[in-house]
Amino acid sequence: MLEVHGLTKAYGSLVAVDDLSFKIEQGEFATLLGPSGCGKSTTLHTIAGLRAATEGSVSLRGEDVTNVPTDERNIGFVFQHSALFPHMTALENITYGLEMQGFEGRDHDEQAQRFLEMVQLGDHGDHKPTELSGGQQRRLSLARALAYEPDILLLDEPLTGLDRVLREDMRNEIKQIQREVDVTTLHVTHDQAEALSMSDRVIVMNDGQKEQEGSPKELYRAPDTEFVAEFVGKSTKFTGTATAPSSSGDGQVLATDTAAVSVGDRRIEFADTDDSVDEQVSLYVRPEQIDIRKTGQQTGTANAFEATVAHIEYLGHRNEIEATLEDGTTVTAYADATIDLELGEAITIEFDPSDVIVL
Amino acid sequence: MNERLQKLAFSPLLVVVYAILLLPVVIVVLTSLTVNQAPTIPSDGVSLEWYVSLFQNSQMISAITTSTIVGICAALLAGTMGTITAFGFVRSEIPYKESLATVMLLPLMISPVIVGLALLRFGSQVGIPTGYVQIILGHAVLTFPFVFLIVRARLLTFDDRLEAASRTLGANSLETVCNVTLPILAPSIVAGMVIAFVFSFGEFTATQFLVSPETTTVPVIIYTQIQTGLSPEISALATVLVALALVAGALGDRIQ
Amino acid sequence: MRTITVSSAALPRPVRRFVSPRVLIGIGLLWLSVFFVVPVVYLLFESLNFGDGSLLANYEQALQAVYRQALYRTFGYALLTTVLTLLLGYLTAYYIAFKSSRPFLLLTLVLLPLWVAIIIRFFGVRLFFLSSGPVQQLFGTDFGIMNSRNGVILGLMSALLPFAVLPIYNSLQSIDDELIHASRTLGAGQFQTLRSVIFPLSLSGVIAATLFVFILAAGSFLAPAIMGGPSNFMMANVIEEAQSYSVSLAAAMAVVFTGSLLIVIGAFNHVANVSEVLGDL
Repeated sequence: MLEVHGLTKAYGSLVAVDDLSFKIEQGEFATLLGPSGCGKSTTLHTIAGLRAATEGSVSLRGEDVTNVPTDERNIGFVFQHSALFPHMTALENITYGLEMQGFEGRDHDEQAQRFLEMVQLGDHGDHKPTELSGGQQRRLSLARALAYEPDILLLDEPLTGLDRVLREDMRNEIKQIQREVDVTTLHVTHDQAEALSMSDRVIVMNDGQKEQEGSPKELYRAPDTEFVAEFVGKSTKFTGTATAPSSSGDGQVLATDTAAVSVGDRRIEFADTDDSVDEQVSLYVRPEQIDIRKTGQQTGTANAFEATVAHIEYLGHRNEIEATLEDGTTVTAYADATIDLELGEAITIEFDPSDVIVL
Repeated sequence: MNERLQKLAFSPLLVVVYAILLLPVVIVVLTSLTVNQAPTIPSDGVSLEWYVSLFQNSQMISAITTSTIVGICAALLAGTMGTITAFGFVRSEIPYKESLATVMLLPLMISPVIVGLALLRFGSQVGIPTGYVQIILGHAVLTFPFVFLIVRARLLTFDDRLEAASRTLGANSLETVCNVTLPILAPSIVAGMVIAFVFSFGEFTATQFLVSPETTTVPVIIYTQIQTGLSPEISALATVLVALALVAGALGDRIQ
Repeated sequence: MRTITVSSAALPRPVRRFVSPRVLIGIGLLWLSVFFVVPVVYLLFESLNFGDGSLLANYEQALQAVYRQALYRTFGYALLTTVLTLLLGYLTAYYIAFKSSRPFLLLTLVLLPLWVAIIIRFFGVRLFFLSSGPVQQLFGTDFGIMNSRNGVILGLMSALLPFAVLPIYNSLQSIDDELIHASRTLGAGQFQTLRSVIFPLSLSGVIAATLFVFILAAGSFLAPAIMGGPSNFMMANVIEEAQSYSVSLAAAMAVVFTGSLLIVIGAFNHVANVSEVLGDL
């Protein structure tokens, strides 16, 4: 459906997007995820033709549209701050697009009304955008971009500036509508939770380049780079030099196929994926893979460490704990809400070698 | 259409617009340098003789002095009244405030011929002395809306928390106004007064009714000369005026 | 800058108590009333005839054919000036706001002439078309500019263009880029976007510009005096002439002119919300 090939966008000597390539299939919901300034928004604007590419090409429906003006690309675009026309009513905002795109197939007012109803604004057609709430404005903006049945929907951080509860509602609503009208969608966001919850596929960008591409699950479980491991989801990071899988010293039984790095005088064991002996490696452990026990309840897993509770964030159904190891490393883990922990309390954290992400 | 081509399509328009805007000023400056007896664009040599004769002409010197005195006094008066009124309008709620604010702009809307005539007739009726007093009052009335608008606009974007902070630090309302509000407003007030000064220095239409023989202003001399016959001396005088205005403008710009 | 701290302890209590914002409005109103409103109303009073004949005798005279013609000419010239100035002004503002790579320079050049006294700018226009001026020297003709309607209009355009460009530029400038982008993604071409999105959103600037240019053009004394000559005199010139032989006639004409201007603005207010634009000033 959409193919971006070798896209580069430079502003003078500043390269915002650097040789970026990716494809999106028909009906897919894909997300460009990255920190602000990584070039994701520039990429989206270039796909829309709102900015000219310095190099590379953009194809839609198999046609090269790199030099086609925006208004002839048949795209739907939802802007960061809605970009609703203040001098038109909600209905007029939608019919404007229908008329400009030369939508055939159905009467324009009827089609506009249908989409107003789809976003639950059926009886707000004659309201001006300023008379709508923040959430309603975003929904209207979505309806406007979809009403003329574009080939692709481009979402540019469409939830910017909404409060958290509204954001989460809107996520579900956008996703639901996207499935209902079955439109290929490319979404841009810096919010990893948003990206993971909405997308079929996520393209992580950093410094104008693609870091990794994959399903939310792949990115979370098997990040390719340290950037992705740190940007997508929470984790605790350990660095050290890998040593050979052996039973040196501690008298602990090591599973076969494990290597280890030293943290202080401790060793962390992990499933050895390739021969990384003597190399500098980074290990990441996701918080839900870490068990917290009160000291004294040790079970004897390979990786068990003494730690002190440094911070507790009550999330209701569970607590997020930050604990400090002897060497000062801060570990993030979840504790069941039924475990009573206090700041400064000594605990034991444990995790299975096979749950360690090695990079 | 190609972006560059579009820009090209605009260029004849821009040439016309900027020619209409700027060439009249340019030609005044050029003709002041002529060696001819008529104000022509110098083609065979330039000279400053018209500036020399300008500054040897006591009538011209006296007009420049008069205009300067009038300009300074009018700017001070308009600055004071404009600031006071802007304060009142932004900081209080009174009925018909919007309509009254529009009344404050009337001196800009009513033809200066009518303002001048009205001031002349009313002034002679109630005994306001002609000459300086009437001219200064007239100019202050005409330029008052500039200061009012500029100071009001600044006050509308004023961060109230600064005043609240001053009050929590123990200053009373008047002390707050003097130590916090006015210093922050000062650039806007001065900018308004600079505009008032420049406007006053160039005002002719209302002024023609109010001048007395001893208080002839620069624009009145220019007008008389345009009507009776042109000497390049007028171009020189006008150029001095342009230079003064631009210096004042640059100063005002820097202050703001 | 050195900070001078002012303490109010030295001030007597009554001064402190009575300097309230309402008092300040009062001072402003009083000032403008005494030196502006009352004099103008006094002119209205002077236009009435308390001697022999009808109370409105001066108005009968002020509405004679010759003065009526000056009134029509005034509004005709003002309208023509407004249309031309707005057309050029809008295109210029559009170019500066959306196309120019040096908007600051272009804007400064628009602003610059405002610092130069209007009489000097009219003088400059006249210098161009004098028999010794560059136009006649070069082309042998003044293109019918001197002492004609065209001269008055050209002079007024030169003087008033900044008043058209600035408000329109401001309103164009405040249009969010996203709205223009949105229009393009919705399938509208550049011209269509200008027509359906940019122009409607810049209307407040256009209204303000129309108002400024029309009022200033209609009330102009110097443009007809310097560029037009007696056959092109507008109301301001006619009033000035009349006051030298009959103040009450001049006063009556001033009332007629200002009244007509108010009616025209009122009619304009009917199609465009002028008071909202003025409130935004």
